[in-house]
Amino acid sequence: MRWLSHLDTQKAFERTFRRAQIPLKYSEGFNPHPKIAFASALAVGVVSQGEYFDVELAGTPEPAVVAAKLQESLPVGLRVFGAVAVPPGTPALMAVVNRARYRVQVALNGPVTAEQLQTVIRRIWLQDSWLVERVGKRGPIVKDIRPGVFALQGEVDPEFIVLDMLVQTGSAGNVRPEEVVDVLLAADGLPVNRERVDVERLGLFVAQGDRLLSPLAIR
Amino acid sequence: MEQTRRCFRQPHEVISAVLEDELLRKVAKPTRYTGGELNQCKKDWLRVDVTMAFAFPDVYEVAMSHLGMRILYHLVNEQPDLLMERVFAPWMDMEDMLRKREIPLFSLESHRPMAEFDVVGFTLQHEMSFTNVLNMLDLGKIALRSSDRKPDAPLIIAGGPCAANPEPLADFLDLVVLGDGEEVLPLLLRKIAAYKKETGWRNGGEGAGREELLHRLARIPGVYVPAFYQPHYGAAGELKGITPRYGDLPLRVRKQVVGDLEQAYFPTKPLVPFMEVVHDRVMLEVLRGCSRACRFCQAGTIYRPVRERSMATLKKQAVTTIQNTGYDEISLTSLNTADYSGVEPLIQELTTEHAAQKVGISLPSLRVDAFSVDLAKAVQKVRKRGLTFAPEAGTQRLRDVINKGVTEEDLWNVVDSVFSNGWSALKLYFIIGLPTETTADLDGIVSLAEQVVYRGTSLLRKIGVKKPVRVTVSVSAFIPKPQTPFQWEPQVSLTELENKQAYLRSRIRDRRITLNWHDAKVSFLEAELARGDRRLGQVIFLAWQKGCKFDGWSEHFNYERWLAALVEAGLEPGQYAYRVYPYDAILPWEHLDFGINRRYLVAEHQRALAGVRTADCRRDKCQGCGVCSSLEVSVDLRGDHNGKNPHRLL
Repeated sequence: MRWLSHLDTQKAFERTFRRAQIPLKYSEGFNPHPKIAFASALAVGVVSQGEYFDVELAGTPEPAVVAAKLQESLPVGLRVFGAVAVPPGTPALMAVVNRARYRVQVALNGPVTAEQLQTVIRRIWLQDSWLVERVGKRGPIVKDIRPGVFALQGEVDPEFIVLDMLVQTGSAGNVRPEEVVDVLLAADGLPVNRERVDVERLGLFVAQGDRLLSPLAIR
Repeated sequence: MEQTRRCFRQPHEVISAVLEDELLRKVAKPTRYTGGELNQCKKDWLRVDVTMAFAFPDVYEVAMSHLGMRILYHLVNEQPDLLMERVFAPWMDMEDMLRKREIPLFSLESHRPMAEFDVVGFTLQHEMSFTNVLNMLDLGKIALRSSDRKPDAPLIIAGGPCAANPEPLADFLDLVVLGDGEEVLPLLLRKIAAYKKETGWRNGGEGAGREELLHRLARIPGVYVPAFYQPHYGAAGELKGITPRYGDLPLRVRKQVVGDLEQAYFPTKPLVPFMEVVHDRVMLEVLRGCSRACRFCQAGTIYRPVRERSMATLKKQAVTTIQNTGYDEISLTSLNTADYSGVEPLIQELTTEHAAQKVGISLPSLRVDAFSVDLAKAVQKVRKRGLTFAPEAGTQRLRDVINKGVTEEDLWNVVDSVFSNGWSALKLYFIIGLPTETTADLDGIVSLAEQVVYRGTSLLRKIGVKKPVRVTVSVSAFIPKPQTPFQWEPQVSLTELENKQAYLRSRIRDRRITLNWHDAKVSFLEAELARGDRRLGQVIFLAWQKGCKFDGWSEHFNYERWLAALVEAGLEPGQYAYRVYPYDAILPWEHLDFGINRRYLVAEHQRALAGVRTADCRRDKCQGCGVCSSLEVSVDLRGDHNGKNPHRLL
C-alpha cells in the first residue's frame, strides 16, 4: 500500500464503494466522477496509520454500516477505523486539517549515541530558521520550514535513528519529514544512509490553540 | 526489520526485503513490481503439483491490459493443483538495479525467482518484443538457448499471435502452444505434473530427462516442440522441408480452438491494478475471430472461426465483474465488436442496467460504418476518445485487392453520420506499400482526407458547430504475415516505403489534416522477423547482445544495432522481408497448421491480384477456408436470439 500514489489510493476507494454497493453522489457533467476528497495527499513510499477523507453519498446511510461494508470490500492493506456523518456545509477536511505527525526511521552507517543525537536536536531546535531548498515550477526556491515544525524528538535504535515529529500540513503549507531530516543532517555529519529513510505518518490532526484534535472528533 | 537479522532466508524473502528497503523507493512507478492487487491469486507452493510463471515481455501497464493474460491467470489458478504467477519485463531503472545487485527477475505474487517455476510461459504479441523475451530469460538467470538448458531447468514455453510463425525464436523456446491457450494449457500443466510425480523431475529425480518430458508433451494436440522438427536447407540456402524427429509426432501441428465460447471459461473476478494501466476497465470478450477476410490481416485468419457469447451470458458476466472489481467502465472487446450479431440490444441493455452505478460502456477498435456511428452515440466513453475509421487504402481498386469491404458510398455515409452527429474529429487508418499499390492509391489517401475535411466542415456549419474539423491520417506499412493470403508477397523496400511516406507528407498541405506514420525501419524488421526461419535466431541473439530491448518503444528502437546483427549473422538484410515466395516454396511455417487450407490462401491471393472481393462467411455462404471442417468447429453466432445457433454444424 505504501507504494500507491495519491491518485491510486483515491481510485482504490472509489472502486471499493462500488463493490460495497454504497451509492455515491457524482459530479455533474459529461464525465461524472464521485466526490472523494482526502484531507492530505500521502507521498509515495510513506506508510500511514491514519488518513481521512470526505465523501458525498447518495442517501443518508448509517455511518457504522458504511464503515463495515467498506471494510468488507477493501483490498488487503487498507482498514477503515470509523466514519461519521457530517451535515452539508461543514468545512472540508482539506481546509481544517493542519498538523501531521510522522515517525521517521533513518538507517545508520556507523555508531551514534543517544546523547549525540539529543545534542544535535537541542541545538537545531533553538535556531530561528531552517532553510531548505525546494524545486518549484519556476526552479529552486529556498523556504524556511522552522515555523512549521512544532515538535521533534529522537531516539537511537542500534541501527537506526528514529525521529518523531509534529509538522504543519494543509492549506497553510506542508513540511516534508525528509526536509527535517536534512536539517538535522546538515547540522551535524551523523553517519546515516540518506537513501534508507522510512517515513510513517502516525496521524493527521486539527490544532486548535494548543490542543490537537482528531479530525473525526471535531465533526 | 526482524527479517533482515535472520541468518538463513529463502531467495524470495531476500528479494522482498531488498525491494521494500532499497529498490522500490528508487524506481519510477514502484507498483509495477509490488503485486498485491485486488483479486490477486497467491497460492501455497507446497499444495500445488506444478508452478508456472506467465511472462509478458513488456512493462506492467501493457501486460496488465492483456485480456489473454487475465483469462489464463485466473483459469489456471482456479485449479487447486495448478499455480500461476506473473513476471513482467522490468523498466530500465529497475533492470539496472537488478543487474547491479545480481537479483534475479522475480514474480509479482511471491517474489520468487523466475527460474524456480516449473514452466515459464511467454506471450508473443508482436515481433518487436522478441529481444525482451531473451532479456527476461537472462535477467531470470535461465540459459537463453533451449539446447543449453540443464535437465531440471524450467520449461520455456510460448503462445500468442506470433506462434503463427515462431521459427525465429525456435532456438530459445522449448515448446509453443498453437491456438486458444485455455484449451491446451491446463492439459499441458497436468502432464508436466504427472511427469514430476513419476520421475521426480526438478526434484532431484535420477534420469528425469527433459527430452522424454518434451516428447510426451509434443503428443498433445496443439503443442509444438521446435527441437523435434528438423529443417532441411538446399545448397542455395532455401528451405527444402521440415520433418519431425520422432515417428509418433504429426507432420503438421494443428492449432486447438475453443469450440464453444459460450461454455468457455471467463474470469469474472479479475485482477484490478492499483496504478493506471493502458486498458483500465472490465473487458468482456463478446466474440472471438473475424471472418471479414481482409487479405493482409493475420488475426483474421489465425483466430477463426467466429464464435460469439450469448447476450444473457455477457450481461451476467458484466454484473458479476463490476461487483467484483468496482470498475466504472465495461469495454466490449473483440477483433470487431460492431460485428457482434446482437450488438445494439447488448449495448442498450448494458447501458440501462449500469447507469445507476455510473458504469459506462465502451467500444475499443471501433471499425466505423454508418451503423456503428449509431452505436458510438449510444456509448458515452467514445466521445472522449474520438472515432476511428479504417478504409486501409485510398482507392476502391486497392480496397478490393485487400478485400476491405468498404465502398465509396459506405465511406461518405460514415463521414456524413460522424459530422452531422457533432463529432469534429475523425482518425483515418491507412496501410501503404500494399501489393499492387501505385501513386494513384497514395493520391487517393490525400484526396480522401481532404474531402473528409471539406464535407465535415460544411456539415458542422449546418448544425451550428463552430469547432474546426480535425482529420488525423495514420499510415502504417504493409507487413506480409504468415498464414494470410499475402504471405507470399514481399514487402516494398525500406527506401521505397520512406519515399511513399515523404510523398504523402509533401502532398498533405491542409493544416486541418495531421499525418502520422510509423517508423519504416520498424516495419521492415517486423516483416523480416515475421516471415523468417530459424536462421534469425542468431540475429535476435546478437541484437539483444548489442543492447536491443523494448524495440516496440520508439525511443528505445535502434535500427543500426539490428542491421549490424543481421550482417554479423551472415544474412542479407531484406532476405526475408523482400522475398517473393513462389507457391511451391516450402514456407518456414509450413509445418504449423492453423486450419486454413493452402488452396484457399492461394485462391484468395489470386483473387486479390484480380481485384475480386470475397464475402464474409457469417453473412454469406461458406468461402471454403477449411477451418471449420479441419478443426471440427463451426461459426457460432448467438447474439440475435440469446441461444444456440440453429445453423451450427456440430
